[in-house]
Amino acid sequence: MINYQYDGTFPGFLSAVFEIWDRGRFPARIVPPEVAPGLFEETIEVKTADDRAGRVWKGIAKAGGKQLCQRLMHVFLSRESGVEDLMLFILRQLFDNKKNVAGDLSVEEVLRFTQMERKVLREVHRLYMFLRFEQTADGTWFAPVSPKYDVLPMTLNHFESRFSDQSWLIYDTVRKYGYYYDAKVVEEITIDNPAFDKETGSLPLEAQSADEQQWQQMWRSYFKHIAIKERANPRLQRQFMPKRFWKHLTEKR
Amino acid sequence: MDKIEKLKILASAAKYDVSCATSGSQRESTGGLGSAVSAGICHSFADDGRCISLLKVLFTNHCIYDCAYCANRRNNDIPRAAFTPEELVDITINFYRRNYIEGLFLSSGVMRNPDYTMARLTKVVKDLRLVHRFNGYIHLKAIPGADDALIREAGLYVDRMSVNIEIPSEENLKYLAPEKDYNSVLQPMHLINEAQQEYLPVRRNSKPAPKFVPAGQSTQLIIGATPDSDNQVLRLASNLYTENRLKRVYYSGYIHTNTSDSRLPALVAPPLKRENRLYQADWLMRFYEFRVDEIVDDTHPDLDLELDPKLAYALRHPEIFPVDIQKANLHTLLRVPGIGPKSARLILSARRYGNVSSYLLKKMGVVMKRARFFITCRELGGRKAPDYQPDHLRMMFLDKSARKLTPDTVQLKLF
Repeated sequence: MINYQYDGTFPGFLSAVFEIWDRGRFPARIVPPEVAPGLFEETIEVKTADDRAGRVWKGIAKAGGKQLCQRLMHVFLSRESGVEDLMLFILRQLFDNKKNVAGDLSVEEVLRFTQMERKVLREVHRLYMFLRFEQTADGTWFAPVSPKYDVLPMTLNHFESRFSDQSWLIYDTVRKYGYYYDAKVVEEITIDNPAFDKETGSLPLEAQSADEQQWQQMWRSYFKHIAIKERANPRLQRQFMPKRFWKHLTEKR
Repeated sequence: MDKIEKLKILASAAKYDVSCATSGSQRESTGGLGSAVSAGICHSFADDGRCISLLKVLFTNHCIYDCAYCANRRNNDIPRAAFTPEELVDITINFYRRNYIEGLFLSSGVMRNPDYTMARLTKVVKDLRLVHRFNGYIHLKAIPGADDALIREAGLYVDRMSVNIEIPSEENLKYLAPEKDYNSVLQPMHLINEAQQEYLPVRRNSKPAPKFVPAGQSTQLIIGATPDSDNQVLRLASNLYTENRLKRVYYSGYIHTNTSDSRLPALVAPPLKRENRLYQADWLMRFYEFRVDEIVDDTHPDLDLELDPKLAYALRHPEIFPVDIQKANLHTLLRVPGIGPKSARLILSARRYGNVSSYLLKKMGVVMKRARFFITCRELGGRKAPDYQPDHLRMMFLDKSARKLTPDTVQLKLF
């Protein structure tokens, strides 16, 4: 067993795929950088090469279709341990056995792959649901998020089309980066201003627009009064809206 | 009165309307504000666990009617308020920009007369769409008795329209709301359905043609305020689905708000269990290919509160089981307790590759502790032993669910 250790990026993963087939050596595993190599295992450090990654990407699209490319990308974004094995399994079937098994749920690996993808897509949808913008003093709309998986890039189309006439900034407080949209284009950013709290992403009062607090208060009041007291059901509420989202929810803070 | 006070009153007044769906409408971005995605998005969940996806408010809670079941009836001594169209537009846009909501759900008490009220509601949605280029989701109540032309105009700007029937039989409606009758409610429903059918062929020929109520119409029935049986309720719902092409019928367990009215039953708690069973039956009709007479009939007019309607059906029809997972068609698979529309389709796709094992069924999300009594697959043989007789199964499933059914969830019989 040879471990191909990549740098944790998607092109890095694809470069590792390239090397495995280049050397033609199985059994092989692709492992993320944080995994310490086993005592008796050979480990090869993979250099990320964009041209190689690009060739693998095209190869997957040609043999398995664009949809498979996207699905691999989704599952990769989960960053859960072991997803590299599932992805490699599917690629091996695709390249060596000329079979696209991604639809065959009777195969254990494919089933886990599919379930992983579902989890990632659910997290995307939850950003659509629970993200909350606050208006800053200069008119930009700001939203801190802390998704379980690194799915912020997957939500950009949605927010761009929905809020196309307002400039906004969405910041991932777990991964410490974000995207800024100036009402024309979206670009990736990091925030270096020492006054900004990168851990919570909360905006100090003086950075907010004049009537922001009033609108937040109105939303909280609405939230309280739309509930029917006789039907109170906190368990159901937590099931649909898990507590980990509450810190960014205006109505639950 | 300021906006926040009005919002408080008019949100409280709107909370008994259970609809909140935002699905079924796809609105692409227009460069202005807003879009709608066909799957719908919930943005929050209130303390009662219900989804909040739209800003659900009444335009006003003033009302000329005195319906016994309604919290906003004329004779109730409660604070009253009314928005101006500008205030409501302002709140909608500001909530939308903060990603609090998918759009607006606007209903209203009837002030002065139905035409006046409908015209005010139409002004709000027109302002949102035309002046503010708002492209989010709008659900509007059609006011029964309003002029056809007003309802037809409003239909061009909204995604969904609804008219609430509220009481599942006409005689009981007349008893509780003498000023109303079924005709006034059904008439706008027919109108909306007709207009939808008129616009469909136009859109087929030219895409930019206007849409009329693209997300369809819905209605609501109050459960437990009157002695109507589940048979009556579900038959009415089934008719509405087929004849008026409704997208949804909502069931709302009656909450005893108007305590002074002796025409209403004094329920200690809303009949949540019955409401839940009705929704399950409704799902069977919409997603499981069940006919209404397979769920309730004259000999079984009410749903079994202790068993879900699908399990109850399976126990009444032992002759169709066990079902062979490897061969059964979709319609039959959907009848197996523990198999849902999703897992049924997964089974169809997986069995093309080979035999489906019970382990795999479990992985697909089939609830095996129910399904295993009703199926045969690779290693589960046909079971004919007395252990699997309907009576025996019923007792077994009851034991498990009995704990969940506490006495206060059972509706009191007062009639």
